[in-house]
Order: sequence, then structure tokens, then C-alpha cells
Amino acid sequence: MDQALSVAAPAAPRRRELSAGVLLGPASVLILVTLAAPLVLLFRYSLDRFDPTLMIIPAITGANYAAFITNPFYLGILRLTIEVAASTTFFCLLFGAPIAYRLARTQSRAKSAMVLALILPLFMGATSRTVGWMILFTHGGILSLAVSALGGSAAFDMMYTPAAVVIGIVSFNLPYMVLMLQAVFERIDPALEDAAASLGAAPARSFRRVIWPLSLPGLSIAAILCFILSMNAYATPLLLGGPRFHMMATQVYTEFADNNNWPFSAATAFILMMTTIFLAVLANRMIPERYRAP
Amino acid sequence: MTDQPTPLAHSLSRRRLLGATAALAAPALLPSAARAASRRVVVGTWGGDYQHLQQINIVDPILTPKGWNVVFAPANEPPRMAQIVAQRMLPRGTLDVAAIEAPGAYRLGNLGLLEPLDAKKIPNLAHVDPLLEFPFFVPHIYSAQILIYDPTKLTSPPTSFSDLMNPAYKGKIGMPTGNDFYIMMAAALYAAGNVDAFDKAKPLMEKVNANGFRLYPETDSIGPAFKSGEIELGLMWLARVAMWQNAGIDVAAAFPKEGSVLYVSGFVVPKNAPNKEGAYEYLNEVLAPSAQRGFAATMGYLPTVNNAPLTGKIAKQLAFPTPKPKLFVPDYAYDVKALPEINTWWNSTIARG
Repeated sequence: MDQALSVAAPAAPRRRELSAGVLLGPASVLILVTLAAPLVLLFRYSLDRFDPTLMIIPAITGANYAAFITNPFYLGILRLTIEVAASTTFFCLLFGAPIAYRLARTQSRAKSAMVLALILPLFMGATSRTVGWMILFTHGGILSLAVSALGGSAAFDMMYTPAAVVIGIVSFNLPYMVLMLQAVFERIDPALEDAAASLGAAPARSFRRVIWPLSLPGLSIAAILCFILSMNAYATPLLLGGPRFHMMATQVYTEFADNNNWPFSAATAFILMMTTIFLAVLANRMIPERYRAP
Repeated sequence: MTDQPTPLAHSLSRRRLLGATAALAAPALLPSAARAASRRVVVGTWGGDYQHLQQINIVDPILTPKGWNVVFAPANEPPRMAQIVAQRMLPRGTLDVAAIEAPGAYRLGNLGLLEPLDAKKIPNLAHVDPLLEFPFFVPHIYSAQILIYDPTKLTSPPTSFSDLMNPAYKGKIGMPTGNDFYIMMAAALYAAGNVDAFDKAKPLMEKVNANGFRLYPETDSIGPAFKSGEIELGLMWLARVAMWQNAGIDVAAAFPKEGSVLYVSGFVVPKNAPNKEGAYEYLNEVLAPSAQRGFAATMGYLPTVNNAPLTGKIAKQLAFPTPKPKLFVPDYAYDVKALPEINTWWNSTIARG
């Protein structure tokens, strides 16, 4: 019996691998068709030429990419997008890490309620939430009334400012950041902190020397995901930034919708995607290898 | 006794019986399905008020009693245009009728994506103002661009585009960024007397911008901005003035002495529309006098036909002053070529943070 089992053993994993492969097949094909095919089509459009009358002239040209990288206006949009994404990622980490740490370590019976409160905003669409911020920020809105009641300027207006956009995106990304970091902190054994404390490390030193290095791989993944979400933000910059605030996603739509310039719009979309991927990889590389996520 | 299976039922399984029934019923069902499809008209349109007004002014009172089943496909214009462009290779598209603003309709017509309209199949087209017409397009509503102002703040009505550069109104001028092309036409009209002089319009618009020009993302943002006192002057459609007046906002309209550009919106039929007969029926009924008056009463857009005179309050609100102001239809052929360049200039110069 034992012998029979030992003979059959090598064949079983192969069968399992094969059946797993077969099961993954349809999903893989589906992803390939629904994700890769539109990207291929988009890339093809980005190589076409635009004519105001004929719209799209089939061609193989890098003119749309060249037009973007040689125009200071478009480069300014890309720079602003990166700055907004970096700022929102920083604030999400700043506000998210303590909340996540507290959630991970709490023994309170209210922990489920806290997590629910955290994910409750995600039940609402991004646009609906942004409209809420608009009501708060708008001229004569709650915030400007509060500022003037407290003796500030009656003309205080947060609407259509970069700060409004950053606040809006942070509010959107923060629950994701907290949930991801909570899982990271929960995997770190609390006994390690106790050990550090027993050896005389103050809480701040314990965090810096123990928790921070151990959480860095997960933290970097969370930050990169937050950065990617921010780079591609559309509704928030459009509604809270106003017409003078241009980020890449809104620019992609402007070129597509207002100018009917599908080739340039496609090229802009690709530049956004490549920049995001490049910066995400770069950020991961900047983390010391021993702390890097596998 | 009745519960006993009959020999026929006994000899057939339930599945076979259902199959046989379906097969017997098929010849009767198929023509009815085809008939239903042939009476269905799919209309791509803006949602909200515009769709609702089509429902209550065109579909419910006119087309449904005639047996037509109108299905709306609500979306903004860019996705609708993209849909028509993307479906250009298909023998059968998904829209029978599409609501499009005149410049977009001209662009699609220019690309050969629209059905050339047979005027004989649209009898109401005979009543349309020829000024608003062009091939492939049935003009549905229109309005004139005017100077909108707050009569409680401005002691005398504005008279021309030059008022937008007046330092007395610094920081109190606001317009929607989506109207950029029409705003540039107004500047061109003031600068050179024609709507195409964009080169002469650009420096004027830069002066307006330097005068604390406030840009808004949507036309709908302008009414509340007047109400809150954020702005006191701008360029807008006469229709919107009537609409906001009716909503209790203190706004009034003044026609610029250099003339007014006309905004025209209407309907087109994609070349590959599955139900062209239904599309023609729809196009004809959007021009019906009752439907035209219904739109004017609620949205403030003028009827495009000459057999739907307005009466009452709305007639007064939308009446042109005497002498009639100079009205300019955009030069669509030129605009199609110039629009991307003007939009890009606007975004990188005027709408720059």
C-alpha cells in the first residue's frame, strides 16, 4: 500500500497542475480578451494620425507621443498628476498607518464596527462622495460659512483648488490604504514589540526598529496601489479641481470628447499608463532589497 | 378522470411536448417579434430633462398611440458620437436616431456616417427655418447667445462683448468652459464682425481672462453662481436665462450690439440605423408644433419651425427685441477644422491654473 502510494505520488501533482491549468484557462482567455485586446486597439489608435475633418487617418507614427513630450503644457499636466498622486499617497500613509495600526492591535469588541465604519464610504460611488465634498467646499457652502463665522475671510473658497483635489482623493483612497495596512500590521507578532519594550526600547524606537522594517514590504505595496489609484483619478479632479485643473485622466477624456482626437487621446492614455508603471517599479526598487515585497 | 394521462401525453415526455409546442408556435411568434422590432425606435439622447421632455411631448402623446415603441439610450454627446464612429463598419448599428448638437452633426455628416435625409419622409421639415438647416440634420431646438447679467447688481444692461473686459466687473464674470468655442465666436464677432476670426478673438479673450474671469465646469453651474452673487455677468444662451428666471434667480438678457451666435441642436440618423422608417417618423414628430411648444415652455429653447408660435410668459421671455438683433449661424465647415486647435488653445491659455 505504501509502495503503491509512493509510486503514484509524482503523477498526482502533475494531474493537479494540469487540471488547475485547465480551470484557469477560460479566465485567462477572458482577461486576455477584455484587458489586452482593448489595450492593443488603443495602442494602435495612438499610432494613427489625426485630421480635424477625417478624424483618424491610419498610419504608423510616433507623432502623437512626440507632440506630448515636446509640449510644456502637456508635460505640466503630467508633472501635476505625479505631484498630486505623490501628495495623496503621502497623506494616506500619514493618516492611514496609525489608524491601521490601532485597528490591528485593538482587542475591542467594537473592532468589527470600526472596520465597518471604515469601509462604509466605499459603499458609495466616487462621484456621489465627491458631490458631498463639493457641497462642503463650494462658495457659500458649509466650510466657507464656518470660516466666516470664526472670523475668517467671507470669501474663503476651497472649491477648484489643488488642496480640494488632494483632500478628495485622500478621502477616496484612505479606506483602501487602512485596510491593506491593517492586514500588514496584523501579521506582525505583537510579542516582538513586547520583546523590544522588555529590552528597554521606547514605543517610538520599537516602531522605528521593529514594526517599520517588518511592515515595509506590505507598506510599499499599499503605497504603490494608492499611488496608481491617484494617478488615474478622474471624477475628483474634474469636480473638485474645476476647469483650470488638468490631470492626465481628465486630459485623456478632453482630447477624446472635445477634440475628437482619438489618436492623441490614446497616446496620452498610454503615456499615463507607462509613467505609472515606471514610477511604481522605481518606487519598489528604491526600497532596500531585504525589505522589498517578493 | 381528467387527471388520467391521455395516450398522447403518455407517449411524449414533458420536454418533447414543450419542444413540439414551441415549434408549432414559432411561425406565429417570429413575425410578431419581427413586427415588434420593426416598430421599435432606439433614440440616443441626453438623459434628464431632455429625454423626459421627449417622452412627454413626442413619445407619449404622438408616437405611442401610433404603435411605435421608442427606447431611449441616454448618454452624453461624446460617447454617442463615439458609438456612431465605432459602429461605422457594422451593417446594422444600434441607434436609429441620435440627438447631436449642430457642429457634431456636421462632423459626422462630413465623415459619411449619416443617412442623407429624404425631405419627403419628413413633412414637418417644410416648416423649419432654412437658416438652421443643413444636410443630414433635423434642427430641433435653438437659442441665441446673449449677455447674461444680474439686474440687481448692474445699474445698466451690458451692450457688447467689450463689457466683459471692463475692470468694473473684475472677478464677477463667469462662463462654462464647455462653451469655449461659442465664447470665442462671440469674441470674433466683436473683433471682426464674423464668427471665424479666431486669431482676432484670442487677444480679447486673454483680456477677459485677465479681468478675473471665472470658469465653471458645466452650464448648470452658472445659475447657482449668479444666485450666490459669485458672478454678475457672462455670455449664455437666452434659453438658460428664461429657465433660471423661472427658477427665481435674478438674471436678465441683453443682446450684444455686434450680434448673437446661434446654438442649434437636433437629430440625425446613422447610415446603418436598423429602423430607418421609425427614424423618419421620429424626426417628423420632433418638429410637430405641440412638441416644439412643449420644449420651449420647459427648457426655453426656441422652436425651429414657423408653425409653433409661442404665447404667454415664455413668448415674452424669448422674444427678440426690436429691431431684431443680428443672428449668426456658426460656420460649421470651418469650425470642424478649427475646433481642436481652439479647444487646445483655450485649455492651455484660458483654462490654465
